[in-house]
Amino acid sequence: MIRRLALAAAALVAAFLPGAPAAAHPMPHSTVTLDVHDRSVSAELRLPAEDLALAAGSPPTAASSPAGGDVRRYLLAHFRPRTMAGAPWRVAIDRIEAADGEQTATGPYREWVIGASLSPPPGGDVRHFRLGYDAIVHQVVTHTVLVSVRQDWAAGRVEGDTQVGVLTVDRRTMTVPGLTVDLGPGSAGRGFLAMLRLGGTHIVEGTDHLLFLLVLLLPAALLATGRRWHGSAGGRRAVRRIGAVTLAFTAGHSAALAASALGHIELPARPVEAFIAASILIGATHAIRPLFPGREALVAGLFGLGHGMAFSFTLAELHLSTGQLALSLLGFNLGIELVQLLLVAMALPAIVLAARLPAQPVLRIGGATVAAVAAAGWLADRLGRPNPVARLADTAGSHTAVVMIALFAAGLAGTIGRRMRSAVPTA
Amino acid sequence: MTSRRPIIAISAVLALGLTACGSSGSEDTASTTAATVKSYDKSVAGVVEAAEAFLATLDDTDKASAQLDLTQDNATAWSNLPCGSTCRVGVEFSNLDDDEVAAAKSVLLTALGTGSGSGYQRVTELLLADDYLGSVQASSGTSGGPGGGGMPSGGAMPSGGGMPSGGGMPSGGGMPSGGGSDGGGGLGGYGSGNYYLAFLGTPSSTGTWQLHFGGHHLAVNMTYKAGAVEGVSPFFVGVEPTSWTDSLSTAHAPLKDMRAAMLAMTSSLSTAEQTKAKLSQSFTDVLLGPDQDGKFPAKKQGLAVSSLTAAQKKLVLAAVKPWVANADDATATALLSTYESELDKTYIGWSGTLGLTKHADYVRIDGPSVWVEFVCQNGVVLQNQIHYHTIYRDHTRDYGGEFTFS
Repeated sequence: MIRRLALAAAALVAAFLPGAPAAAHPMPHSTVTLDVHDRSVSAELRLPAEDLALAAGSPPTAASSPAGGDVRRYLLAHFRPRTMAGAPWRVAIDRIEAADGEQTATGPYREWVIGASLSPPPGGDVRHFRLGYDAIVHQVVTHTVLVSVRQDWAAGRVEGDTQVGVLTVDRRTMTVPGLTVDLGPGSAGRGFLAMLRLGGTHIVEGTDHLLFLLVLLLPAALLATGRRWHGSAGGRRAVRRIGAVTLAFTAGHSAALAASALGHIELPARPVEAFIAASILIGATHAIRPLFPGREALVAGLFGLGHGMAFSFTLAELHLSTGQLALSLLGFNLGIELVQLLLVAMALPAIVLAARLPAQPVLRIGGATVAAVAAAGWLADRLGRPNPVARLADTAGSHTAVVMIALFAAGLAGTIGRRMRSAVPTA
Repeated sequence: MTSRRPIIAISAVLALGLTACGSSGSEDTASTTAATVKSYDKSVAGVVEAAEAFLATLDDTDKASAQLDLTQDNATAWSNLPCGSTCRVGVEFSNLDDDEVAAAKSVLLTALGTGSGSGYQRVTELLLADDYLGSVQASSGTSGGPGGGGMPSGGAMPSGGGMPSGGGMPSGGGMPSGGGSDGGGGLGGYGSGNYYLAFLGTPSSTGTWQLHFGGHHLAVNMTYKAGAVEGVSPFFVGVEPTSWTDSLSTAHAPLKDMRAAMLAMTSSLSTAEQTKAKLSQSFTDVLLGPDQDGKFPAKKQGLAVSSLTAAQKKLVLAAVKPWVANADDATATALLSTYESELDKTYIGWSGTLGLTKHADYVRIDGPSVWVEFVCQNGVVLQNQIHYHTIYRDHTRDYGGEFTFS
């Protein structure tokens, strides 16, 4: 039974873990990465500078020269997306910057990174169009352009690149064949499901959010007298408190997430991230010595606001339309809640059980101290001081599923073991 | 032929000794009786004999890697890249002991040309070049090579899919299993241990089979059919750095003769002819590298050799010779005479500058049969200098004409 539960939980958590790392390409090439929006497509182009110089006709040694204007003119001549019927799209180049690139077996090189917005004529299909791209390959005939989609909300693709085409000279005809981008069907439902998954992934990978919740729950099954935690508050009361804290945290971050996403509030990421690290530190201190006994739910709600702000950064990166945003908010939040509930439920037996063990103070203070050290590391890191503690905590965060399953199994095994040993149920 | 053999054997032993010195010393060659590379009879029967002798030295696992079926997938599994076993088939040299490597080299010595600096000697130089490159990378600690395994920081590498052209790199692409002398990790690294030999089809004097050998900057494909040599291409050869001096103060420049032959051809042209021969496109690599089998441009570009003088035509033929001479001498002679008869339908072209000194300097010879490309490109490990990539193909005789390419 325990085994089956643990397996089921592991499968659920594993479903939210990221996939295997991408395979590497062994050739120096250009990339065109597309983000597909409601009525437009944005493209990020990465062009090896030396190849671009060869193609544009300036000397290859000018690889790092700030020829932004030339690059723009050149690109507008070699990037002309069209509808399937042949009507031209509008291409606006938003940014051009020089950067360092390196691909497998190429050695380091300079590259141009270009951001462009592509808009079809009114009513044009953003999911099916001709890319009209031949930059560099029209001249440097040994060059290759990899075209991929990074984000396509309506197809349920919100992160990770998918290759949709390769542009290279047809050796036999020595011409560059056109590339038709066909993204297949897109719908709000697919987008919603993807956001649900993203929310779940976010809580599994966002160790800091989970850690905050867990430290608040550490003393949930205990009673506070003055400046000390002691005695078990009883299983039922513990469950009620855990429910309240979880609910308040959810309410807090949902409100902040909705407000910042819909209100287009843009907060700088670093202070928000630092605030979250501080919230764990305070929560951990409270688990060692009560700071706000009985008001954990209120604190969870208040700090939840900060965590919600952090969640909104993930959504902000997606550049969604208002309709997509509303659905995304719902899906993303629901994903967060589902996984959060699952994880809290997994921690529950251990929390309740630990409150009754003689070793309770050691477990609680030990756990809180570990959390406090991790939080201090993160706080320093987010205030501009990278350190090994933060790195270690981030690494440990990639094993959330394993840790939670172990915690769940230990809690469940301990509880059952206790029941079997003592005929008289405590509490 | 018989009188020349001792010299070949001696030079081969010398070359082997150099290889042993060049390798990073991970394997202690304590045995005083150095394994001898020897040539069998310079005939298809001789190559078969050498191949059988080599296979007889292998255990079952290595034999299973070395003896494969003659399929299009196996034949085209070669690359210029240091991608180890992820992009090529065959038994890896670093898995073999000294005697087995000597037996493998005996196959090459028997099958390839005997010219000074070409054929077998060029192949051994290429292996030395890779040992040298591995040592340079190891001592400079550069991350630029295949060991760097570099995902660019900005994530320029899209996921999914293997090679853009849909060929060589199987997606599972891990590291080669062996690699005692690998220069780096990642794609397999540089070093003479990271070369692979396979027989595609069973070596015989009656059937159809291929001798398939290569590694970084080297791909040798010899096709035999009914006791005759049917194809000696594709033959890819490149080198980085273009020249170096080893620890014994011996100077190496394995592709120097190829570059010189190309330069002799282009510098014989008048200014007007050079203008005519200039190609409008730019080339940062060979056009028909790995996975571009059968994709010869339909229309020949550049300057028609038919318009040249007899002396110039000789230089064109001399320019393809170093590549053709990779094959055994008799086959090379026969192919050169075919290519000579086709000179009037052959074209030469170049791009970049004519010096063959800069990135994207490029020369090509394209005939009804012959196809040779020579290109200079930026160094990968030694970034402050260029390196060479070259390829020799034959429009109808690649892989002995055994396959058709869509």
